[in-house]
Amino acid sequence: MPPRTCALCNDARAILKRPKTGQQICKECFFYVFETEVHNTITEANLFKSGDRVAIGASGGKDSTVLAHVMKTLNERYSYGLELFLLSIDEGITGYRDDSLETVKRNQQQYDMPLKILSYDELYGWTMDAIVAQIGKKNNCTFCGVFRRQALDRGAAILNVDHIVTGHNADDIAETVLMNIMRGDIARLGRCTSICTQGEDTIRRSKPFKYAYEKEIVMYAYFKKLDYFSTECIYSPDAYRGHARAFLKDLEAARPSAIIDIIHSGEAFEVREDVKATQKSQQTCKRCGYMSSNELCKACTLLEGLERGMATAAVTDRARQKLDADGPSPGNLRTIPFFQLPASLQNPTTVETPP
Amino acid sequence: MLSTASLSNIRIVSYCLAHIQFLRNCFFPLTTHKFRRALEPNVNPKPDGPRKTALKPAGNLLVGFSGGLGSSVLVDLVHRCYVSLDKSTMPTEGGRDHPRHERVWKKITVCYIEVCDVFPGMTDKTEAVANLVSRYDELELVALRIRDAFDPSWWERVRGKPAFSEIGVSLADQALFMESLSHFRQDPLAALHTYFSSLPTPTAVHTSIQTLTRVLLLYTALHTGSSHLILGTSLTSLAVSLISGVAQGSGFNVREEMLEEWSPDPGVTEVPELWPEDGKRAQKLKRTVRIVRPLRDIGMKECAAWAWWSHIPVVGKEKWLWPGAKPGIGTLTKDFILGLEQDYPSTVSTIVRTCAKLQPKGEVDGKCILCGRPSQRGVQEWKARISIRSQPPPPPSAQRPLPIVEESPDHASLTPYLCYPCHTTLTSRSARPVSSPWPNTTQPSVVSLPMWTEARLSTTNKALAESNDEEVVRQRKLEQGEMKGIVDQFLLED
Ligand SMILES: [Zn+2]
Ligand SMILES: [Zn+2]
Ligand SMILES: [Zn+2]
Ligand SMILES: [Zn+2]
Repeated sequence: MPPRTCALCNDARAILKRPKTGQQICKECFFYVFETEVHNTITEANLFKSGDRVAIGASGGKDSTVLAHVMKTLNERYSYGLELFLLSIDEGITGYRDDSLETVKRNQQQYDMPLKILSYDELYGWTMDAIVAQIGKKNNCTFCGVFRRQALDRGAAILNVDHIVTGHNADDIAETVLMNIMRGDIARLGRCTSICTQGEDTIRRSKPFKYAYEKEIVMYAYFKKLDYFSTECIYSPDAYRGHARAFLKDLEAARPSAIIDIIHSGEAFEVREDVKATQKSQQTCKRCGYMSSNELCKACTLLEGLERGMATAAVTDRARQKLDADGPSPGNLRTIPFFQLPASLQNPTTVETPP
Repeated sequence: MLSTASLSNIRIVSYCLAHIQFLRNCFFPLTTHKFRRALEPNVNPKPDGPRKTALKPAGNLLVGFSGGLGSSVLVDLVHRCYVSLDKSTMPTEGGRDHPRHERVWKKITVCYIEVCDVFPGMTDKTEAVANLVSRYDELELVALRIRDAFDPSWWERVRGKPAFSEIGVSLADQALFMESLSHFRQDPLAALHTYFSSLPTPTAVHTSIQTLTRVLLLYTALHTGSSHLILGTSLTSLAVSLISGVAQGSGFNVREEMLEEWSPDPGVTEVPELWPEDGKRAQKLKRTVRIVRPLRDIGMKECAAWAWWSHIPVVGKEKWLWPGAKPGIGTLTKDFILGLEQDYPSTVSTIVRTCAKLQPKGEVDGKCILCGRPSQRGVQEWKARISIRSQPPPPPSAQRPLPIVEESPDHASLTPYLCYPCHTTLTSRSARPVSSPWPNTTQPSVVSLPMWTEARLSTTNKALAESNDEEVVRQRKLEQGEMKGIVDQFLLED
């Protein structure tokens, strides 16, 4: 059988079957379509403007390693005019982060981007190892999620950037759409497919890989010979998310477009106006200044629970009530430093440029 | 002392019996209440909340019957509540003269669509269905076959207008080019086999059966003067179809999956566009068919209990399978949701409750020519942007003139007339080899389209020839060349 020619350039020999479309294409065309689709995602959503300072949330895992590479490539190719930074969070899990942080440090050299590593220890006074030692291995992912999200924002504020990009890919988003429907999380369902989230006064946060298949990210890393570390959370992962992911993989095997079709669905509906009106509005945490839907943000609640030896406090409402019933928080509690937005984002109403 | 072992056993047994009796006594009124609560606010032309006033539908009632558990229970409920006026199903409030105690529907028709023609070796259950329906007086049965979708005589029977030319589509090509069928029209069964053996995935086979069935029911409703089409979708099956729909890209139609108002496209049917004068209403109403799922609050287990206690001989539905078929998205979703429901018992009701809080986002761009549901504007641009499928332009040095896109109707594409999920159904391929239900069918380059699609394409093409307005813009919007243009504008210059 003669070698197949690439379905895109009709010239070179096809060496791979594209997971997203099933087309048989050559390596160069694969790089081209992969990068161009990310570029289309960025331009269609007007994610950046020239001169923006953008932090890439870098974990050393495949998504963020490829993201750093693609962001640098596109920034140069299309003259986005962005100033790129790497921002890494060190959760303080012995033996788990060390290798991936090395990857990030190497990226800093290769891509010539400034790197900021922010540790849980320096921010919250607690490493994940210490948290696990106190509360055991259950419910840890609650800490992971809440602490990491806030840590990224705080790191971004320290770097004085306008924007954080993360490596969330199409599989992550499709899975989240399904989970939010099945769990009835209407607030998250409404926003989980938006490429960019920004509250009243938060740092813009976006997902340039929202249409990139996980398989293609791996393929890209493979052909570009980028090295990365697998960054599965070693503490109790979310069982429900595991079910959703397995289901998504089955759907993808039945019809590869399923991932993109789910994202399309998620973008084609929104929460009804009358339902939206009943949702909680955002405020800022009275203790640390971070955005929150309650008086105390989730991170502060979790932290207070840890400090007072009632670690499950923010995990269940009942535990939170117990915490409240136990009296006011003692004054000597370790707390998170007060959150300050980067200068450019303060008083957002005044940044409008005159005509 | 009476506390001997045997006595306490008797006590337990009699307690259980009493308890079952109690459950049973509550079960029927509760289930009937859920049925009425889901259907009756949607009976009057202007839907409203819980009501005490009279139910006055604009037309008759059509019950979609699949032979399965849900639709068997539905037929039984309809008969009790609206034909035999079973006292136990009546709401207690309002007394004897309550308006609900009158006849609501002038005529009730049950429509069964036999799908056995799609699968080799599947039994025809039409007779069993006829026997079941004949148990209920005053319910009339209309039995169709899924091949009727390709049958001009069925189309004529429901007063559809004949197509000007016979148009087919090439399913082998992602571009979905349309061609006029030069050969004589295939007989409906052959056309059905060709259509189904040309579909790219098992998912597409299942979804196409559902789409054809739904539209056959809608035209039957129109023809029988029905303003309402009700389906036996239980809470459980609704949750499954919502998730399965989301996984096939039909997020824009989440609302239609729960409650849908349909009217035929102008010019494809002889059925008048307005309901006849009613005398009580000030003006004539636009003729529509409202699809309601009155079992949407009743789970599969409750349906089974209803069928058991009411001695309904459920005909049953065979699995939609053929040799070598891998499970499609519908089957995978069903297995997944039923499994999840065991570990997280409120899953199905949460799914339905969540989806009820959603509304479509973005503009409507007409109705899909295949399924008749509203389609979202801009879906092809969206697809082209995020999954690049065509060749990058040659480098500037080797610039050749772009090929001129043929304007002849023979090379028009079906794509711009399709909604996202239907386009995906016809074009999205599997990574693994797919076995066809009819492997020995010779694969012609062009397959016939359902009668309503052909008729609508005819009216569109005629409009295209006669006028120069919006319809033309719509027709031309996504020629291949233009789709490529959308892609090209993002391409890098080397
Ligand atoms: Zn190529
Ligand atoms: Zn974790
Ligand atoms: Zn706080
Ligand atoms: Zn459609």
